[in-house]
Amino acid sequence: MSRKKAAGAVLAAVVAGFGLSSLAAAGRVAEVDRSALARKQEALTAEYGLAKDANFYFVFDVEGRKIELRVKGMVLRSWHIAGMRFWGRPDFAGTVALARKTTLKAPERIIIKPGQEESLVKVPAAKPAAGQAVTPATSADYDLEALELRDMPGKFSLDFDNGLHVTIRARSGEAPGLAARLKDAWRWYVAMPLSPVVGKGRAKTRPELELVFEDEKDPQAIYWHFFDGIKGIIL
Amino acid sequence: MVIKRLLLAAAALAALGFLAVFGASYFIGLKAASAWPVRIPPIAEKDVAKVEKNVQQIEKRLAGMLPKGLYIVIDTAANRLYLKNGEQVLREAVVSCGSGVVLEEPGGKKRSWVFDTPRGEFSVKNKITNPYWVKPDWAFIEEGEKIPRGMEDRIEAGTLGDYALGFGQGFFIHGTLYTRLLGRNVTHGCVRVGDEDLKFVFKSVSVGTKIYIY
Repeated sequence: MSRKKAAGAVLAAVVAGFGLSSLAAAGRVAEVDRSALARKQEALTAEYGLAKDANFYFVFDVEGRKIELRVKGMVLRSWHIAGMRFWGRPDFAGTVALARKTTLKAPERIIIKPGQEESLVKVPAAKPAAGQAVTPATSADYDLEALELRDMPGKFSLDFDNGLHVTIRARSGEAPGLAARLKDAWRWYVAMPLSPVVGKGRAKTRPELELVFEDEKDPQAIYWHFFDGIKGIIL
Repeated sequence: MVIKRLLLAAAALAALGFLAVFGASYFIGLKAASAWPVRIPPIAEKDVAKVEKNVQQIEKRLAGMLPKGLYIVIDTAANRLYLKNGEQVLREAVVSCGSGVVLEEPGGKKRSWVFDTPRGEFSVKNKITNPYWVKPDWAFIEEGEKIPRGMEDRIEAGTLGDYALGFGQGFFIHGTLYTRLLGRNVTHGCVRVGDEDLKFVFKSVSVGTKIYIY
């Protein structure tokens, strides 16, 4: 009899335990939902402000692992983020604007000055002779004097007006050397965490975000489409 | 001997201290670098219904901003044109957009032109069948020719293909003789489209159709 009682007590305790844990889990879910709702409201409010006019804007959906170029709430282009690292806590409230694009070698426009020696560039749109058949060919056959996507850098950084510094690069362009990896590990995992303690002060503790993309064309396209002053939101 | 031991102990302590700081910073850095900060506090239970209603209203307003009916989207980097209706892509065409080249006029006037396709929201201003190209000054300067005085010397037939859609400031979506260059950035700012795609787009859209160029 006492064994039965003990077994019953154990069963009751287990059931009660399950019940309590379920209640706690439900509470956590509700908490998560309320956080998500708060985030959604803030993101939509910020986007609505940007979508009111006809200007393009971006959405850095870091949690959703994507960057989007939009206009009036419509997604024009979307790039999947393959990897990311983050340091610091910037102020994300509302919208941000791109203050500066920085790269080691910025693409340069070709300048044509007719009549001068240096202006002897191939004009890509040169007309064929009248009646001459146009032969379709692959784009690789023409080395054009033009500023194209492939001329854009595969690695660059974006500085926003809220102080956020974003480095964008492609995984394929990664330097695999040991020295480069050590330097990278030192910077991200030692220098940055130590900088508030032993660094030169707050200047070194700016928030940083590193975004990595699978295809090199993705950073190049982002460089192409993100012009100085473009506004956006960071989620 | 004692001094030597003391020095050794001090060195060992310094090394341990360095390792501790190094390890701690590595741990902190690893943690911080892999977690996106959660910054917005959850809304209060009593405000949930109100916020949900607000979210629905904003979503509705945003959806109302989307272009109605057919519209054209042009990606200047990928040299692609999309004819869309809502989310549906009715036609995708390989096109040629602006080369980004700068042309500088020699001599006294020193004018310059940047051959970019303009970006932003536009609309179809006019639809022209069998368009003529009225060559602007830069077309003559680029070819090293003298700029003519009479309008008749500026008119060129056939260059723009069978159709043209004007979207303002002298820019057109038009045909091309140089189909082998479709997919490349070669134009002076206009958008060149292949014959079949151009015919489809031209027949589909009307004056006022929105054009988004990015």
